[in-house]
Amino acid sequence: MIISKAISPFRIKRRNGGTDADAQAFITASGISGTEATATNQLVIDLKSANIWTKMKAVYPFVGNTASSQKWNLKNPVDSNAAYRLVFSGGGTFSANGYLPNGTNAYANTFLIPSTAYSVASSGHMSYYSRTDSNGVNEREVGALTATNYSDLGLRYSGNLYMRWSETGSPTQVASPNSLGFYVGTRTAINVQKIFKNGTQVLTSALIGSALPNINLYLGCLNLSNIPNYYSAKQCAFASIGDGLTDAEALAFYNAVQTFNTTLARQV
Amino acid sequence: MITLKDIKRAQWDLYVGLLTIEQKDSLLIQWYAPDSFFNPVETAIENQWVISVEEMANCTNEEFMWVKDLPLIIYEPKPSPPIN
Repeated sequence: MIISKAISPFRIKRRNGGTDADAQAFITASGISGTEATATNQLVIDLKSANIWTKMKAVYPFVGNTASSQKWNLKNPVDSNAAYRLVFSGGGTFSANGYLPNGTNAYANTFLIPSTAYSVASSGHMSYYSRTDSNGVNEREVGALTATNYSDLGLRYSGNLYMRWSETGSPTQVASPNSLGFYVGTRTAINVQKIFKNGTQVLTSALIGSALPNINLYLGCLNLSNIPNYYSAKQCAFASIGDGLTDAEALAFYNAVQTFNTTLARQV
Repeated sequence: MITLKDIKRAQWDLYVGLLTIEQKDSLLIQWYAPDSFFNPVETAIENQWVISVEEMANCTNEEFMWVKDLPLIIYEPKPSPPIN
């Protein structure tokens, strides 16, 4: 009986027979098709199955090969700032492998303001799937910093990795031998902050999170009091911003995103 | 004078297009391709403004096709302000 259930064609048909409504909205908005559409649909299914979907505020799969196809937020594929649709500036390159900022002047404005998008400062995450190993002293991948409140993520600069979510001081850092892979920086309590690389914890910090910046988060650089700086040259094949993720959720998140990028033949 | 047509794709990271102050001002909040906006940045030399070769090469906005003819210079970034 168990074997019969496992190979039932009816079960297979139910699982793969239709497109998730949220995925379909994104597919329609971005104009993607074929493998990209199939992979995106499976990504949404996997995120929902792992109970991660509801923790996301902005999800950027970077599919298609133009700014017009890569700007969409999978969680809310509406062409507006309020929906956290990306606006690209500077010389980024768009391809089937994702968004490649040039390290000179390219970045994406998410329009997500942490202080208004979150009700508490003690739970939040940022993720970035990097296909580039680079170590520029002035490279950062996600961030918004006012004079006193910081939320940022740096995958590898001067050989170091760090993240801050709602912090006010210098970050805890750890050596970063390369910057290839899927990074999730997450805060799950006022004094618990972790970074996971490819599902494995690589940093923990007890630094206190107190208040969130009241300016837009940028991808591909830091937003320093509304001036972009610290431009990254790391190609991005996925990014997200959302609530804090547990260890198990971070692993499930990695598995879903890695499956997604493997389907698209752009995994690292 | 070096221009866009004088360099290869592999050299794009080295160069940037040099702008006058008036040209820099004219590019602010303007798109160069669908859903992509110019972002002039200041170099290590005060009041020297540039855009990337990608913005020059990929510009499809008829109003700003002149960026394709900008003189190229080797990029020397302005030092980033310190952060904690």
